[in-house]
Amino acid sequence: MDRQNVVTALETALTDVLERPVTGLTGDVKLFDDLHLDSTTMLEMLMALEDSIGLVVDPEDLDADDFVSVDTFTDFVLRTQLEQVSA
Amino acid sequence: MGRTAQLLHELLESAAERSPESAALSSQGRSLTYAELAAASTRTAAALQREGLRRGDRIVVTAADGIGIAVLLYAASRLGAVFSVLHEQVRGGPLEHVLRDCGPTLLVSDDPAAGRTAAEHGVRFLELDELVRSALDADTDESLAPGGPSALTVDPVSLIYTSGTTSLPKAVVSTHQQVLFAASAIQECLRYRSDDVVYCPLPLSFDYGLYQVYLAALSGARLHLGTVAEVGPPLLRSLEEAGATVLPAVPSIADRLAWLLRRSSSGPSRLRLLTNTGAALSDTTMAALRAALPRLRIQVMYGLTECKRTAIMPPDGDLDHPGSCGLPLPGTEVFVIDDDGSRLPPGQIGQFVVRGPNVMAGYWKRPELTAERFPRAEGLFPELRTGDYGWLDKEGYLYFSGRRDDLYKERGFRLSATEVEAAATRVDGVTSAAVLPPEGKRGALLAVVADIGADEVREGMRDHIEPFKIPRRCVRLDALPTNGNGKVDRKKLAALIEQAPAAPVTAEASRAGLAH
Repeated sequence: MDRQNVVTALETALTDVLERPVTGLTGDVKLFDDLHLDSTTMLEMLMALEDSIGLVVDPEDLDADDFVSVDTFTDFVLRTQLEQVSA
Repeated sequence: MGRTAQLLHELLESAAERSPESAALSSQGRSLTYAELAAASTRTAAALQREGLRRGDRIVVTAADGIGIAVLLYAASRLGAVFSVLHEQVRGGPLEHVLRDCGPTLLVSDDPAAGRTAAEHGVRFLELDELVRSALDADTDESLAPGGPSALTVDPVSLIYTSGTTSLPKAVVSTHQQVLFAASAIQECLRYRSDDVVYCPLPLSFDYGLYQVYLAALSGARLHLGTVAEVGPPLLRSLEEAGATVLPAVPSIADRLAWLLRRSSSGPSRLRLLTNTGAALSDTTMAALRAALPRLRIQVMYGLTECKRTAIMPPDGDLDHPGSCGLPLPGTEVFVIDDDGSRLPPGQIGQFVVRGPNVMAGYWKRPELTAERFPRAEGLFPELRTGDYGWLDKEGYLYFSGRRDDLYKERGFRLSATEVEAAATRVDGVTSAAVLPPEGKRGALLAVVADIGADEVREGMRDHIEPFKIPRRCVRLDALPTNGNGKVDRKKLAALIEQAPAAPVTAEASRAGLAH
């Protein structure tokens, strides 16, 4: 799965969670300040990605720094998927 | 050891005398001891005094920085001023409403937009960060210039804005005496310890969040303030890193913790107590938390800002008294009345009335509403008509059925949305549920987050409540919209469902609707 796939999956997940179309995300978009996600919708986004791309998170690895922007979150998803494949 | 605290800031003084070097507050890598917090709040009070603030003046703060807010609220108490903490996102119209309603001398925030609103309303503005940082960085002891007499225990210390369902937010006014009684009574039930780390995932604008500051000072515990980012998906790790032993929660937080624990091999090892307020905790979530964290004890509670807290369950008492929200606070009384105001015997549903020193002063500048909700028995003795409905059992345990506005009539029956929601969440596979009472031509509607179909949810509910109570329409959603306090936002939910009126309705539910 490449970067663009993750961003597309993220757009779909956010469209579901926020109940409004989310498209054209760029890496510097901030999840809290720009997209107005909160602690609840942030978790729902993870749940949606669990369903759509089979993202399996280890709750103990979830770090606030990964949930800052589209870029930091995409890095997190790619890293997590890579670990899954190699595991 | 000094005398018992009578004014809010004396709570902090006592804690600083008892254990000056103990950590009082921590957040985002910052930490303050009780001595540092006491000194910073004194310096801040002196700075505010130099700005011209006096006893009785009102201060509104809207910010994310919990440590700054804690310093400021103790500073306000020292001055005899009255503070009001608003959610960090209160801006524009809602902020203007508060400025008009409260008439503060000062608005404190880190947001320039809030500063502009203050200027438009002729309210002085100070930056929280600047105000508090200079107080934290200073190393000189400062004391207040002698002014007039200090605040009395019967003087107001805080205004807490609560939203009404039909009207603009109104403020509940609390005196020093009322706050200290409520905080001490809660502490008597929850028994926070000096070695506790209380992890607060709630903003201090939410009154149970705010009271964590007082409970920590009473017990000498450390209060860790979680940021919005930390209490989302990273909650588990954040609890572990903070060394949390106590988690004051609302259902959305407890549900989140249960979800994360199901996916994790270990949990926050030191967590010993979870308390819940805001709405009932689902049986599924409590069972999941207990399975994952065998050491954890749960205390469910019920209350409203007008008396802060009404009832608290003894630790794990929900296992013996399922569905109850506990016993009245020590030193207070709760009874149930019918529509004529007569007391009802155990087992009968009516309105909860609260008596005791936890009943707050009333609503700011709302004499009629205050007279209605805070009437005086025999024209003299204050009591609180909560507007909440429920019943007491013979042992005095409270059972909450619903808010007055949670109750609705359908097909001639008086139904409680809370009861219907509880039945829905008891169905296996249902994570959360919310009822929209009937409106206009639309009948009551049940929205669920579930792994099973809407028809199965309605079918499964038959095991838990009478069939006539089950709404005809059930809609499955990915999530229920919540407000800043983690409660389901029914307005948003209604809007969401109306946007797509046909799509989510299941075939069977439609048929049931037609058959009616």
